[in-house]
Amino acid sequence: MNKTTILATIFIVVMAVFPFLVDSTWLTIGITFLVFATVAFSQDIILGRAGVFNMGHAIFFGIGAYTTAILNVHFGFEIIETIPFAIIFPIIIAILLAGPIIHLRGDYLLVATIGFNIIFEQVLKNDVFGLTGGPNGIFGIDVVRIFGYELFSDTAIYYMAFILMILTLIIIRNLDNSRYGRALYYINKDEIAAKSMGINIPYYKLFAFALGAAIAGAAGSIFAVQYSAVSPESFNFMQSVMFFAIVLVGGSASLPGVIIGTFVMFVLPELFTEFKESRYLIFGAAMVLTMVLRPNGVWPATFGNIPKFLRPNKGAK
Amino acid sequence: MDIFLQQLINGLTIGSLYALVALGYTMVYGVMKLINFAHGDLVAFSAYVGLTIFSQLFGSSASSFVNVIIIFVLTSIIVAFVGVLLERLAYRPLRTAPRLSAVVSALGASLVIQNGIMLIWGPNMQIFPADLLPNTTWNFGGVIITFTQLCILILSAVLMAALFIFINKTKMGTAIRATAIDQDAAKLMGINVNKVITLIFIIGSMLGAIGGLFIGLYYRALTFDMGWLYGLNAFIAAIIGGIGSIPGAMIGGLLLGLFNALIAGYISTEWAETFTFILLIIILIVRPTGILGEKTAEKV
Repeated sequence: MNKTTILATIFIVVMAVFPFLVDSTWLTIGITFLVFATVAFSQDIILGRAGVFNMGHAIFFGIGAYTTAILNVHFGFEIIETIPFAIIFPIIIAILLAGPIIHLRGDYLLVATIGFNIIFEQVLKNDVFGLTGGPNGIFGIDVVRIFGYELFSDTAIYYMAFILMILTLIIIRNLDNSRYGRALYYINKDEIAAKSMGINIPYYKLFAFALGAAIAGAAGSIFAVQYSAVSPESFNFMQSVMFFAIVLVGGSASLPGVIIGTFVMFVLPELFTEFKESRYLIFGAAMVLTMVLRPNGVWPATFGNIPKFLRPNKGAK
Repeated sequence: MDIFLQQLINGLTIGSLYALVALGYTMVYGVMKLINFAHGDLVAFSAYVGLTIFSQLFGSSASSFVNVIIIFVLTSIIVAFVGVLLERLAYRPLRTAPRLSAVVSALGASLVIQNGIMLIWGPNMQIFPADLLPNTTWNFGGVIITFTQLCILILSAVLMAALFIFINKTKMGTAIRATAIDQDAAKLMGINVNKVITLIFIIGSMLGAIGGLFIGLYYRALTFDMGWLYGLNAFIAAIIGGIGSIPGAMIGGLLLGLFNALIAGYISTEWAETFTFILLIIILIVRPTGILGEKTAEKV
């Protein structure tokens, strides 16, 4: 057991018993943390692992949430039946959106994904086909029912979010150990070298996009159930900036980094409501300061780097 | 036809504003390969600074040309100072860091400026006085041009021409172009790269400040988060023209202004932003280097 495994185990055990230790306010914060951490993990697959500059991740989170909301409220689907759609639709949209632009150089891709996010927000606000409910969004989403049992308590929602996060962690772990994960890693490290090794770059990048979108969509579904409502502000471009910042401030491709980032960005504001006004100012300053002091993030990943004993000794020449 | 001509005038006005702001993006991108996300917020900041200078210095007294010029000069100086400070604090320490770190730093700086505006001036909309510039209008057979529009068109044309000459004909301009092509080689030729970058931030911030003041004079309503809207539009203008290219930013700004005005005039104002971004994405797919951008071998 190395240090990371121990830390991960402690983290998971604490999160598993968390609902029994706290009151309802903290439980709500716990759900928020789990949902946003899951989305941040999924962004980390795209941005941290594949190195694709995606600044429109709130789109997929939003599509998942809106899919659940629309299918439930307008078409009378059970929540549990909407979840497959909330996973598949973001995948389809991710491939359709990213497909034509995936070959773009980093910064251009960044701007294109910002563009998609702003278009997405306008689509939601302008109430397309009378489905998205315009600026107010959709209210009155049902509770989850499994075999006739109604899972309406916060504890139940907490465990749904917890299970999703654990699944996400398992997926990421498997990804890192698979051919796909290694391909993404090499693409991220050196695209030209990866290409010359015969790695099909657009394919793997799209794969990362689709996987990230699927997880974000599932998280969106839980988000919709938690608030039993969805509205465009939750999925605007500023949210995407937050997810983008979480991954990079925390440390890309680093799970503890993402957890720290989520905690700072989404949990602290819930704890200190008095600094809501100046919240973004402080975050902005913290983002600049973190990057200046630790350009690779607070807790950078070490996966796949050359082990210390193999590194050329810089001191002795 | 009248509508078309009217929208043409409006489009050229907005386009000039975009072009002024776009120059700040394109120069920074050209030299540092960094999207300066904070530039749009600097533009919004300058509009607020201008408004405050007006109310502090001149209060209720009737506005005159001299007053307006004083506002422009003072605001440009203040904003240029903030721009240089921004570069020193947020970008200079990250020159050798991974590209994405600088992007996050820029986003952070943008949040700081945007919310700084909110904390200083409050979250409510601020209104620019209507009589700062004369309310004269000219009517050319149904097509109306206001004095403000004329000022924007003329002054931005003059500024852009001056910048074009500065970049292409002077020694400092040559240094800027050399640094944009290859920083290390420029350093070897004895160019002080730090000085060049500071200069770029001064020029870009000043042009942005003038753009911001014009936005205040033209639209009159200011919100603390308007920087993103104008910033993104200006950035799109820079991409349309070919990012890194100064004449490209000017052409891109004018084209985007016309495009916006025609969409607003003939199709819909609700979806205007969507059309702008669809245009952006089409351009990125078809010709990512823009109209005047060079086709270079892509490294990453």
